Amino acid sequence: MTASNVETAAPSRSNTDNLAPRSAVVTGWLADRGIFVVTAVVVVLSAIFVDGFASLDNITDVFNRAAPIGIVAAGMTFVVISANYLDLSVVAQVATGAVVLIGVSNSRGLVVAVLVAAVIAVIYGAVNGIAVGVFKANAVIVTLSTTFIGLGLLRWASGGSIYFGSEGTLIRRFGTFEIGPFPLSMIALVLIALLLEFVLNRTTFGFAVKSFGSNPAAARLAGVDTARVVIGAFTFSAFGAMLGGFVLGAFSNTAVSAMSSGYDFRALAAIIVGGTSVFGGKGSVLRTLLGVVFVSILTNLMVLSGLGFGYQQMAIGGLIVVAVSVDALARKATR
Amino acid sequence: MKLEQPRMQRFKLGMILLMVGSLILAACGSDDAESDASDSGDESSSSSEGDDEAMEDDGAMEGEYNVFALLPQGTDQPYGTTYLPPMEAKAAELGISLTITNSQYDADKQASECETAVAAEPDLIILWPAVADTVRPCLEAAKDAGIPVTVTNSDVKAEDADLTAAYSGPDTYGQGVASAELMCELTGGEETGIIMINGLTGNTTAIDREAGFEDTINEQCPNVEILARQPGNWNKDESQIAASEMITAVGAENIQGVYAADDTMVAGAIDALKARDLDPADLVITSIGNTFLGNPLVVSGELDGTVFQSSSWDGEHAITVAHEVLTGGGGERIVEFMPSVKVTADNADSPEVAPEW
Amino acid sequence: MTSDAEVIGTKSGSRPVERLRRLITRRPESRAVILLAIVSLGAIILEPLVFTAYSATLGRIALIGLVALGLTAVILMGELDLSVASTLAVSGVVMASIDSLPGGILVALIVGVCIGVANAFFVVVVGINSFIATLGMLFFLRGLAFVISDEQPVRIANIDAGIAFGKPLIGDFTPRMLIFLAVFVVMHVFTTRVRVGREFYAVGGNRTAAYDAGIPVRRRIFTGFMISGFVAAGAGAINTLERTAADPTSGSTVLLSSFAAAIIGGILLTGGRGSVLGTLLGAASLGILQVGLTHSAVQVDVQNIVIGAVLFVAVISDPASVRAVFERVRIAVRSRRHQQTPVTSA
Repeated sequence: MTASNVETAAPSRSNTDNLAPRSAVVTGWLADRGIFVVTAVVVVLSAIFVDGFASLDNITDVFNRAAPIGIVAAGMTFVVISANYLDLSVVAQVATGAVVLIGVSNSRGLVVAVLVAAVIAVIYGAVNGIAVGVFKANAVIVTLSTTFIGLGLLRWASGGSIYFGSEGTLIRRFGTFEIGPFPLSMIALVLIALLLEFVLNRTTFGFAVKSFGSNPAAARLAGVDTARVVIGAFTFSAFGAMLGGFVLGAFSNTAVSAMSSGYDFRALAAIIVGGTSVFGGKGSVLRTLLGVVFVSILTNLMVLSGLGFGYQQMAIGGLIVVAVSVDALARKATR
Repeated sequence: MKLEQPRMQRFKLGMILLMVGSLILAACGSDDAESDASDSGDESSSSSEGDDEAMEDDGAMEGEYNVFALLPQGTDQPYGTTYLPPMEAKAAELGISLTITNSQYDADKQASECETAVAAEPDLIILWPAVADTVRPCLEAAKDAGIPVTVTNSDVKAEDADLTAAYSGPDTYGQGVASAELMCELTGGEETGIIMINGLTGNTTAIDREAGFEDTINEQCPNVEILARQPGNWNKDESQIAASEMITAVGAENIQGVYAADDTMVAGAIDALKARDLDPADLVITSIGNTFLGNPLVVSGELDGTVFQSSSWDGEHAITVAHEVLTGGGGERIVEFMPSVKVTADNADSPEVAPEW
Repeated sequence: MTSDAEVIGTKSGSRPVERLRRLITRRPESRAVILLAIVSLGAIILEPLVFTAYSATLGRIALIGLVALGLTAVILMGELDLSVASTLAVSGVVMASIDSLPGGILVALIVGVCIGVANAFFVVVVGINSFIATLGMLFFLRGLAFVISDEQPVRIANIDAGIAFGKPLIGDFTPRMLIFLAVFVVMHVFTTRVRVGREFYAVGGNRTAAYDAGIPVRRRIFTGFMISGFVAAGAGAINTLERTAADPTSGSTVLLSSFAAAIIGGILLTGGRGSVLGTLLGAASLGILQVGLTHSAVQVDVQNIVIGAVLFVAVISDPASVRAVFERVRIAVRSRRHQQTPVTSA
């Protein structure tokens, strides 16, 4: 507002003076919702321009891609929100979950398999959680070491064999059943994500995780039992990974220790693309769900276009950087 | 700040003394290295909670020969899992004390393990190259140390072969060729569009099989065209999704065949077909392995042909060939190829090609 | 000599013991020293081959440690660089693709520096968290390595030079080990004697204070990432030379080993604490442990369990961690005792 004459200028005070300029409001909104918008845009454009993308079979493929990783990422979101970077041991847990499902249920039945998996998840959650929460050790190294131990134990106990499920079992039916374009595993993912989101936003535990993640010292002063928060976060991550392993085993009807490779960073990528901050404190499991779906769509598009593995990796890496850059730049604009 | 310096220096000095002390102690102990190594077998076994196999190999049995086996896989892969027991059994039978490593296809790790092996001065080194292009320095170091090297499963490059005493194993390029020949026979000259699912990207076996298959297709039956290719990473689930997406991309009506670099992946592709209500029996499908997963598919007609790879043959022969070299080597390079037996519905039931992994 | 003034704030006790105790609990490298001592002792007793045939062990330490040294520069400032694994692969592939050996090495190193600049750009200019930025780069560069190499190993043009590079140069030391030692000395001097390097600690310890103190924080971050990228590229070039071929899949195991080495060495991931020396000790511990296990011929799965267990114990036995646990126990016990005593009204 340029006044031609300073003395005469009675500065016209509009009531938007104290608010951010409209453009910043828009970009701020975009920063928070960016991933939704981008996903929507990509889906619409792909449906129009990419042959076969919108077909029922392809949608099923996208969801089949998303389901195992998504369940793992949903659980791991708790660890990320608690400002503990990531849980590398999901690699061991997913493999163990798949082997337990296929291997144990073949000989002892499904119920025993579920019980065994639950016990193992609790152990992982406890070991990781105590080391990080009570001993305040670094989560990256702790989970790295538990991955070594976990995979070593799995291969030692199973001899490294590949397990095969039979046809026509309940597991097999779960792995192949579809409602329209939605595989049962995807429905399971959505339900689990909703459940975990509920825990995160509406329970004291979820609130404790978030407050611990954003400011551990303040959380402790406020009476949050930090050890319990961290153990809980890692336990959720472990259960998520075990369930992810179940879904993977059901889908493939086989189980072998090598099938989970890369799940740690892929899950983390999904969480990050979804918008959860790696610093901890904020985040949402539903965002992770969206992140996983988006990454799956992207990979699906690349395969449909015939791009090789190298280009796929470049695209995912580029996506992660771009997604977070947009978010960071938009935040800067609103400041 | 000034107070810090002397303390820091003293700390560093103490640490250096500790390391030097360790080295001196070790040097004094080096005379007993031989007996220590056999004793340590028992001690380290007791710390490994019931690992009976290692105990048999190291402490209890004073093997005639000490052999290092540098492998890129083990119990982390189904093939390696069934390769190891026959290998260890044969070694025990022939009086060979085995030290096994697993570099998980990391060439740098295997090179470091090779240095470790050469330093241990064994009687022989069995090498299964993680990446065939990178093993020459290892071979030369072994040669300089006077340690013979035999190769198993994946052969070294032609120019490095004279540094090795023997090779036993499948011919991974030849397996791709065999699978392609099956494809050629079964398509009988008709125009066939196929989708291709390869192994782990950058993995030597995957590269060799892909090359073998593609070269043969181009030479012997150009009527077969590869419409799309993706890596399945030896995983059934990834292969299923990749296959399904390739079918979407290319169009189901354009596809008359499928090739996958191993049975686990082809099973995934077949599942993909079934999920889309396509009958696998209508397509020409070939792969490699004749595994527990693949053989039944051949019997049921869904898989049209595969190539038998016997992990037990591989593991056993690694040892028998090594033993040959140990007990009378120095002659020509011994080469024992595992026969690439084609398995189709005709011979799938035969006990000769009973699946092993 | 113990006047009251000196005794204030310190428990009474013999001074050397006190000094030792304070030394162990204060210095971040102390845990690495203890671990190294334990591992070395174990190796001497069980597998003396680790030390008698020390060149293999040193080779393994150099493999783990070189990348870790570069990483230390970045972690000291409170940032992370996950992309080192892929930087290693890409630089190797680039080097092998160029026929001239010195030209290839030069280009590889330049590529490493450029990657460092890119990483720093995202962290400093765009403002992304370095964990995410370098994670994205990790994927991106891995893909790039595959694309450049056409998904298969690339042989270098001069194979004999490569093999000669792998042979000992001075005494039993191969060029890799010598380079590793040289990098260690340079990094150590840089972070302890050179002003720019010492400012890394300030940037990591308290960034706002560093800004206020007039340290050009952004420039330091660029320097740190460039160092990390340069060293990783150097490691890639060394690996490629020694292997006589560049493998686009290489580097994945080295990533986590380097982090483990640095963290065992006492470095704090949030920055400001730790040292290059600690990283060296951490790498040495890991290397001796791995080589010792290989010599022991124990089943590979059990080896991995042992490595995992040792890492686990090492990381939870940080003096700060142990203190934290004792605190919790003490508080728990004390609160229980208070619950039992009746509360007298005030």
